[in-house]
Amino acid sequence: MRGVTKNLVLVLAIAVVLAGCKAPTQQIDTTKAALEEVTKASADIAPVPELKDLNDKLTAALDEIAAQDKKFFKKFGKAKEMLTNLGTDIEALKAALPAKIEAAKNEAIKLQGEAKAAIDEAKALLAKAPTGKGTKKDIDALKADLAGAETAFAEIQTALDGKDYIVAQDKANAIKTKAADIAAQVKAAIEKVTGKKIV
Amino acid sequence: MLLGFHLIFFACKTPPVPPEAQQVENLREALWRAGASFYAEQSYERFKAELKSGKEKLARERAKFGWSRDYSSLQADFRDLLQKGNDLLAQVETLKGSQAKYFTDQTADLAGRVVRLKRMTDQFNENGPVRKSLSQAEIKLSETETLLRKEQYGAVGETLAVAENCIREAERSLASILSRYLDKRELDKWQKWAGETVAESRTNGTVAILVNKIERKLTIYKKGAVIARFDIGLGRYGLSDKLYSGDEATPEGKYQITRKYPASQFYKALLINYPNADDQRTYALAKKEGLIPAQAGIGGYIEIHGGGKDNLTAGCVGLENKDMDEVYKWANVGTAVTIVGAVSIENTILAEIKEFAKNG
Repeated sequence: MRGVTKNLVLVLAIAVVLAGCKAPTQQIDTTKAALEEVTKASADIAPVPELKDLNDKLTAALDEIAAQDKKFFKKFGKAKEMLTNLGTDIEALKAALPAKIEAAKNEAIKLQGEAKAAIDEAKALLAKAPTGKGTKKDIDALKADLAGAETAFAEIQTALDGKDYIVAQDKANAIKTKAADIAAQVKAAIEKVTGKKIV
Repeated sequence: MLLGFHLIFFACKTPPVPPEAQQVENLREALWRAGASFYAEQSYERFKAELKSGKEKLARERAKFGWSRDYSSLQADFRDLLQKGNDLLAQVETLKGSQAKYFTDQTADLAGRVVRLKRMTDQFNENGPVRKSLSQAEIKLSETETLLRKEQYGAVGETLAVAENCIREAERSLASILSRYLDKRELDKWQKWAGETVAESRTNGTVAILVNKIERKLTIYKKGAVIARFDIGLGRYGLSDKLYSGDEATPEGKYQITRKYPASQFYKALLINYPNADDQRTYALAKKEGLIPAQAGIGGYIEIHGGGKDNLTAGCVGLENKDMDEVYKWANVGTAVTIVGAVSIENTILAEIKEFAKNG
């Protein structure tokens, strides 16, 4: 009877030790999923520097788990702590992300408005430009140029709808520059004929 | 005894972790930042695997009692990995540089094509689909420059492809507009007219005017020799052969000056006898075949006039006033005026059009 009790205590002790040595598989999966989610969410605003830091921390935690796995007496306490801290960091980035995305979106919308204003200004100048001898050819060419800019303008909204806010910003900037260039050429063409400086 | 204590103390002292371990870790960071996972994915993965193995060995060594730790072999491994990592970083930087150069060169090449095509649209007064496509290409190239500055080469490739498509579209449109300039029969006809005009000037000792539409040039011959050459302007559809009133095309054929206007609406003007017999035959045929609007007449009042070459005429030939003075001086009623599309395929513009047509 005494022997049985002794064996039972031994088995329980081993069970307790082994339970403490179990790799935090579920915690890893949860952390990975959370990281993946925050990575996807931040894709709208181009690579976020914090993502690199989070990925590094995950790698470090996995390395620690791998190192412990090779040992006979495994201690996953440190790895669990690393994963817990990483989870906190992911949550912090997740919480900050909407504000970052909103800022990128607002900037893209602002630039879209500026591009539209630049197109409208060029259009207004083209409408009042004298299309007689000396300017007709230039003005016709610039109208065709502006038609190209107007076609490209639709791409900004497509990018915004697709939540590609940085892409939308780049497109809006390019169109704004082109429209401003056209407006400057229209002014030059008008000035060539009228001799009056347009401001 | 003191000596013995020292011996025991130093023998049991824990050796420090080799500094190369942290250096390799920093190098991995540098490689990631340089984009090694994009430019040299396999080598970078190998590097990471070796680093992981090294870190595992390091962990095993650190798990030992301090006095029994030996990092010498591990230090050699880390040094070796440092070397590999630095080589990889150099390789990545070179690749990045090559790619940046490739894309920069390609952007410059496409921008050059846009400039050349725009010059041609200016020359041909093409202000429709060609010009619109070129404007879209310019916007794409502007986006490309932004992406190049951000070193987003994946996106650069895609944007450049769109820009190139817009340029190809412009080239195709241009080639289709100018396709008849590549037709040998048309070219033979124009060459025949031009040759006859110069020969008649030589034989008769007279002045003759030759207008070359594709080159935008008016040449004055006397006794078969060139005496003056001027730049000209045409209408919006000046490269087309005039068929009816209001088509804004410039007629092609052998004409004569029928009247001189010393003070016209456009400075000075020389009226030619459009439509001639050939024009009337072509018009009648086109009308019969329903190729022209039912109400459209054949048109007339085609002149060589002043007012400037940088404007769109309604089918006339425009010159700068100072050049018009010269032409007006040499021309008389009865002077031959021959208007041709082109006289040679050898000139740059036609060669370029031929190239576009081939690519399209």
